Amino acid sequence: MKNILLLILLIPLFTNCQTERKVVSKYPAHVGNVEFDEKIDDPNFKRCLPDGSYAYQYYNGDSSGIEYKGEKLEIIRTLEKENIQSSRDINGYITFRFIVNCEGKSGLFRVQQMDEQYKEKYFEKKLLEQLLSFTKNLNGWIPKEIQGRKVDYYQYLTYKIEDGKVSEILP
Amino acid sequence: MEKFQKYYLSLLVLVIYSNLQAQVNCNTMQDDNCKKACEIYNIASELQGTAKSQEAFDYAIKLCPTFSNLYKEKSVPYLKNGDFVTWKVLIDKAVGLDPKMNLGYRGWCKYQFLRDYKGAIQDIEALEKIYPTGYLGYSANGDYELHIAKAICYSALGQKEKAISIIENQLAKKDHNIGFYDYYQLGVTYFELGKYDKALENFEKQSKQNDFAENIYYRSKVSKVRNKDYLDLKKLALKSYDEGKTMKDSYTHHYNKVYRAQIEEL
Repeated sequence: MKNILLLILLIPLFTNCQTERKVVSKYPAHVGNVEFDEKIDDPNFKRCLPDGSYAYQYYNGDSSGIEYKGEKLEIIRTLEKENIQSSRDINGYITFRFIVNCEGKSGLFRVQQMDEQYKEKYFEKKLLEQLLSFTKNLNGWIPKEIQGRKVDYYQYLTYKIEDGKVSEILP
Repeated sequence: MEKFQKYYLSLLVLVIYSNLQAQVNCNTMQDDNCKKACEIYNIASELQGTAKSQEAFDYAIKLCPTFSNLYKEKSVPYLKNGDFVTWKVLIDKAVGLDPKMNLGYRGWCKYQFLRDYKGAIQDIEALEKIYPTGYLGYSANGDYELHIAKAICYSALGQKEKAISIIENQLAKKDHNIGFYDYYQLGVTYFELGKYDKALENFEKQSKQNDFAENIYYRSKVSKVRNKDYLDLKKLALKSYDEGKTMKDSYTHHYNKVYRAQIEEL
């Protein structure tokens, strides 16, 4: 009850924040939201829900991690068949974040590269491009349905790099 | 029946513990600004990840810059979204302000989301220095007591004997509430060392407490190694898998998770 009263009292604060957000907010409507960028995104990738609609996170709904045909093991085994590795013994993480639409197609890829201390770093271009291409070619994503409605959702894949090779895939 | 009740009672304690972690009693705050910041924290936490929530945390941080929960809770959506660079900056601030409260959490997340075994061990061992003989708390998902989580990290780094010793010591403590997968993780570690008697002993303990497909798969594997009939157990493991009785985690996969295809290939 006390929390509800406090929420009412805080509404002006949130309203102010919202008004301000339209002008100068440094945050998207939800942390991690990705907007279409014609310079880098495939124009043929369509989100199923109209622009501005909420895209769910991969862990929303009845989720148990990655939802992929053949489970995550299939991704691991597919990667093992590729000869993807750096020419140098480097360590760190490369994360690709993207949207899976209601047909199971993926698009709007974004990347984050970091070292073992979680600081941004840049891996060699060849390794990055090979992993991006591998990630884009994954075609077993299972569409998500929440409360009977087909939705778009955000997914990410993190490649842990040890001695220049992928040692683990997350989440 | 008594064991059953004890098990579910300990689960209940864990659930209550996790919920209590999120909400804070703001009446304990001495400073008025910090009390207000704490109240904002409790509400903004319910709107996790939204711009409103992040802005409210920023506002509250200005009111009470020493309240570590604000940084911690602000970091969570970045962690879940895979933006680990931003997460780390924020969670480091929380740890810097209140290591007792946040070291265990940061260590667990390093393991759970990034399989950063060395980083996780470093944080959990730093926490042990603060509480050398005592209780370290549980992983954020409630599945593992943090000594056990540390043992898993040592196991992943190839230090199997050390992992076994840590888990055995923890299980021998009278006040240890057995976690969902404690015996299973211990059993798999023994299995990897070829100690099949000890492995089986722990898989059987696990099955009495909380059985699932992966545990049955390993029992089947022990039988196969010993040239005994293993097919019935394999069939049971597949059945359990299809019924959804598996190691589950909403965010990542468990250590020593076994997939359906691997059971089929046994």
